[in-house]
Amino acid sequence: MPLIEFQDFSFKYYGADFLALKKVNLTISEGEYVVITGPSGCGKTTLCRTINGLVPQFHRGYIAGNVLVDGKNTRDHTVAEMATIAGLVFQQPENQLVTLNVEKEIAFGPENLGVDPVEVRHRVEELISLLDLEHLRDKHPHEMSGGEQQRVAIASILALKPKIMVADEPTSNLDPKNAELILDIIAGLNKRDMTVILVEHRLDLVSKDASRIVLMNDGRIVADGTPRNILVKDLCQEIGVGVPKATLVYKSLKNRGIDLGSVPLTGEELATLVKEAS
Amino acid sequence: MIILENVHFAYDGIYTALQGVSLQIDDGERIAIMGTNGAGKTTLVKQLNGLLRPHRGRVILDGIDTKRYSVAELARHIGLVMQNPDHQLFLDSVEKEILFGLKQLGFSSEDARIRCESTLLNLGLDSLADRSPFTLSGGERKRVALASVLATEPRVLVLDEPTIGQDAKQKENLAQMLRDLNEKGRTVIVVTHDIEFVIENFPRTVAMANGTVIADGPTSSVLSNDDVIERCSLTAPQLTLAARSIHAIHPDVSERLTLLSNLEEEIVRVLRGA
Amino acid sequence: MSFLEVFQYTRQDSIIHRLDPRAKLFMAIVSAIVSLIFLEILPLLIILIILIPLLVAAKSLRRWLRSMKGLSILLVFILVFNTLLSPAPNPLNHSIALTLRLIALMTSFSLFFLTVHPDELSQALIQMRVRFEFAFAMSMAMRYVPTLAQEAYAIMDAQKARGVELDKGNPLKRIRNIVPIIVPLIIVSIRRALSIAESMESRGFGASPHRTYMNRLSFKKKDWVVVFISLLVLVLTIYIRLYIPLYVWSLPF
Repeated sequence: MPLIEFQDFSFKYYGADFLALKKVNLTISEGEYVVITGPSGCGKTTLCRTINGLVPQFHRGYIAGNVLVDGKNTRDHTVAEMATIAGLVFQQPENQLVTLNVEKEIAFGPENLGVDPVEVRHRVEELISLLDLEHLRDKHPHEMSGGEQQRVAIASILALKPKIMVADEPTSNLDPKNAELILDIIAGLNKRDMTVILVEHRLDLVSKDASRIVLMNDGRIVADGTPRNILVKDLCQEIGVGVPKATLVYKSLKNRGIDLGSVPLTGEELATLVKEAS
Repeated sequence: MIILENVHFAYDGIYTALQGVSLQIDDGERIAIMGTNGAGKTTLVKQLNGLLRPHRGRVILDGIDTKRYSVAELARHIGLVMQNPDHQLFLDSVEKEILFGLKQLGFSSEDARIRCESTLLNLGLDSLADRSPFTLSGGERKRVALASVLATEPRVLVLDEPTIGQDAKQKENLAQMLRDLNEKGRTVIVVTHDIEFVIENFPRTVAMANGTVIADGPTSSVLSNDDVIERCSLTAPQLTLAARSIHAIHPDVSERLTLLSNLEEEIVRVLRGA
Repeated sequence: MSFLEVFQYTRQDSIIHRLDPRAKLFMAIVSAIVSLIFLEILPLLIILIILIPLLVAAKSLRRWLRSMKGLSILLVFILVFNTLLSPAPNPLNHSIALTLRLIALMTSFSLFFLTVHPDELSQALIQMRVRFEFAFAMSMAMRYVPTLAQEAYAIMDAQKARGVELDKGNPLKRIRNIVPIIVPLIIVSIRRALSIAESMESRGFGASPHRTYMNRLSFKKKDWVVVFISLLVLVLTIYIRLYIPLYVWSLPF
């Protein structure tokens, strides 16, 4: 059984004059690492909100079709009920840190759901060591860098022990080093069997880890497949997706009649292919 | 021409943000300022239009020390587009927002109207002229904020993190627009972490760390330096990594930072030659 | 505003910091009541002399002294004006006592605020039967006030960069100049509030009627000791006030 299933799902926010999602069909199985990408305003954020029930429970609007997450229809379950199934990490780290120190922040979710205090403490300690937050334990959000804040935000979501991690452009406000760090953490979670759904523009950093790329445009899914299959499509550049430069080199070489054999996603892969070909 | 002479600055007199920055910016240049958060980039650009004043050292605009000018006077010459458009948009239509900026700088209403219209057209915002900025998407609001500064045609345009939240196509449009402005003789300065945007569009890069300039020169050499990449919290671009790795086997392929078309030619040469 | 520092939590590890906030609240209230009971120089001095070692124990004496220095002009002002305007038979004595009372009151509460982390405070309130939502709203205000202040400065910079001159023109114009600051501040805050609400909702805020707390406060022996001593002091001073005529010591002029 798929973990997430969109069945002909459409959504229009109240007050909006266009559909944010148009008849979306998508199934995601356990353990996948799905990168969702597409131009601004294509419906990526709405798709993320749909997976943990923020749409339609928090953001109301017109709905058609269904979304089933771990067998639960998001129309019939509160966001809190979905919280232990799908956790959502947002773009702006500082708006996700609502308490005055890291311990409290991580404990916030489980406390809200009434988890036993001993278990809450256990999860807090586990996540502090997993995400290397020891030095931040007593820090006020104001005393942390954006990258550190985002790491705490991820920890605070993991504290609910969700099966699915949804991250909506978690690195867009970070410098490249910190972005890489956050993306490495997310890739690491996926290796520990967590299903990951990531909205990201920096395809040069995520394509190598992703098992699948879903391309959206104008509220629709326009392409869906492995990174190597999707990123070579001309459609990517037409709608404004930042294709990794290594892949672009492959494409233009191919247009000139030089086939490197397989599609590179990183600089190293490109170099290896060139060395093998020469 | 703008000259910074040994500029020092500390917030509240305590937290040192700039310690001895010297820089010369000629008319018609395209410059990228890069560095980690807290390196002093934003402090530096605020020195240019007088939002912050040096505690020591001088900022000289066309031979005159800027301490003689108010921020409003400097705003005529130096247009600063802040990172968050929501910090400046406050009127209920895009058009009013742009007219407001023009009026603040003393343009006559007739002149302001003409400039407003042509800017809206140039940025593809003409269809949104009557919309409230509050209802626009993030990318659109960013363009409105940019338009309100561009309309005043400052000689020097400074943009703080203009590519955040923009998709590939929007970035390309932005780059094209900045090149056009530059061709009309305007100086363009960006503060950014977006290394590929810099490589493709900015011939000169100033790298900063701990309130000082650690490297200043042609982008291709500044960003080929691993130390700079490291200290600015950047990651080496894919093409550089590829070029280096290929260089190890084919020493005639340059290991320096390069544009896509150059690397492509080099690979073609290696493979056809083989 | 440096005198406000004395009401700001400072991260320290001290005997006073480790006390239960409820015990400290009780102590502060008792010490405030005692300061209000007397309006004579000598007993107020004694109260201060007792409070100062507690500040030392809280490792906060220096901070307190700095705040008092910041306040000194205001205190001298109060002293002078009261002496000149007071209808009391001995105006100087009366004003000195009033000033000492003000200092004693401030010190009592600063001992509380200096040593109680806002999180502990909200936890204490919750365990004193204040609803979680209210206590949490308070701690969230503390969380986001600095953010809001930063945002306000950024907005002022953005408008100044467009040529808005905030401190120029007649009063009417100055008031009009606030509009380009206030409107973005409100809009930005609404956007932020929405995004914070999304994040809290996603973590089950308010979902369960049986919310748990990882760090429940518990009264220990030392907390009971503090409460007991405070109570004793309170009873004793009330008794003294009511039944023992104090030798009135006053300045010889």
